[in-house]
Amino acid sequence: MGVIEFKNVGKIFGSRASGFVALEDINLEIRDKEFVAIVGPSGCGKTTCLRMVAGFEPATDGVVSVDGNPIKRPGPDRAVVFQQFALFPWKTVYENIDLGLRNLNVSRPERRERIDAILTLMNLTAYAKHFPHQLSGGMQQRVAIARAYVLDPDVLLMDEPFGALDAQTRVVMQEELVRLARKNPRSVLFITHAVEEAVYLADRVAIMTRAPGRIKEVLDVASIRNAENWDSHEKIEDVMDLESFVHLRTHIWRSLREEKAAQHA
Amino acid sequence: MPRRVTIGFATIFTVLVLWLMLSTVLAVIPSGRFPSPAETWSALVHVSGRGYGGGDLMMHVYNSLRLVVMGFLFAIFTGVPLGLLMGWSRRAEALINPIFLIIRPIPPLAWIPLAILWLGLGDAAKIMVIWFSAFVPSVINTYAGVRNIDRPMLEAAYMLGMPRLRFVSEVLIPGASPMIFTGLRLSLQASWTTLVAAELVGAFYGIGRVLNVAQQDLYPGMILVGMIAVAILGWGTTRALGVVEARALRWNTAALAAKG
Repeated sequence: MGVIEFKNVGKIFGSRASGFVALEDINLEIRDKEFVAIVGPSGCGKTTCLRMVAGFEPATDGVVSVDGNPIKRPGPDRAVVFQQFALFPWKTVYENIDLGLRNLNVSRPERRERIDAILTLMNLTAYAKHFPHQLSGGMQQRVAIARAYVLDPDVLLMDEPFGALDAQTRVVMQEELVRLARKNPRSVLFITHAVEEAVYLADRVAIMTRAPGRIKEVLDVASIRNAENWDSHEKIEDVMDLESFVHLRTHIWRSLREEKAAQHA
Repeated sequence: MPRRVTIGFATIFTVLVLWLMLSTVLAVIPSGRFPSPAETWSALVHVSGRGYGGGDLMMHVYNSLRLVVMGFLFAIFTGVPLGLLMGWSRRAEALINPIFLIIRPIPPLAWIPLAILWLGLGDAAKIMVIWFSAFVPSVINTYAGVRNIDRPMLEAAYMLGMPRLRFVSEVLIPGASPMIFTGLRLSLQASWTTLVAAELVGAFYGIGRVLNVAQQDLYPGMILVGMIAVAILGWGTTRALGVVEARALRWNTAALAAKG
């Protein structure tokens, strides 16, 4: 299982009286094996939402829980993929992926098997003995995704994972992530400011307001995706050309633009 | 041979020729002030053969080297863990830092009289002073190294559920290691400085002892032999540390090169 729940969650950085109110009254449930993306203007606190599920930040108000258990600390049941990869540069690709499994005391033969499988899945087999700096940004993020997926976590948290990549690499990674997520679904919380990315990847997209961040609207993409059969298209640009995709994307853009306008008003 | 090495040898050769010209051929420098190459050579033969200042050259070198290595290792094995602790725990930092702020401005050499008073003219006093001088750079650089580890990397480690000991050995130490080695290099230099100073003040053996006796005997050739011996030993130990560093940080040098 992997049900993520935000219940009346608020976050204030600093003191309650004079601190910065980052989040206010967040209510959101991510169902088991559902892929939810949060989009919002920069500084709206979307990354803070993810960091609270990861256990890196405590909530000031309300409760963040997974399967009903309030989150107290980080752990391998909630694997994180960071924007800046955060691989260990002194460990090889194989060792980076192996580390979490060792911490879970998985037996050596099983570790070997699971790592080999994920390396194959992510097209990394040839790079097992490489150090991260010997790989391109896209490859490094592949390793980071493999490091998270190999733990077989109930919950996968992705914090703008493709934000540091160039446009072409990003597209390839998005296609691969769709492949991976459909084949091996997890409860995913995906943070991004790229609207197309959110619509392409997610089952539902939550739109946040500018700070103090609140959830303004949650859009059901999955029902449209299934009705219009997006997954029959292999390439991202074909999906992005579909009328239903364009419609959703425009809707989100408008919603975000209202936020921008409110900010300048 | 690489160009740089060739130039290096050429420079050394030129200095030697100049030395020979000024001291012997032209006799511009009086030999009471600075020895000629011949005098230096004979001093070297003197200390290596008959011995000087209570022992022969090998004995002096062995003693100095032994003390430096012991004091240095002692400093590493106390300083690096303390630096890790201070870098890791805010509480430990708050507790220990004030002591550091008081002790740090005291030059290590100022501890020599107290060390001799406590422990006499033997090895123990010198090891203590060397430890003292080498300890501070080890701690401070290790501490800074831990503080410099990227925040997301630490968060990745928490997320992966690292047990404490493994976290220290596989994340904290390697993450801080580039700075740790910077600290060790400074510690090693400090060790030699302090050793020679401590031996100058009082010792039965050692290169500082040779220098001290040679000064009292007005023996410039022997003074130069002592100085050259320290230079060679300092260079050799730094090189040895460099080899260890290059092995330990292979990932880092390559990573830096990859970044450009």
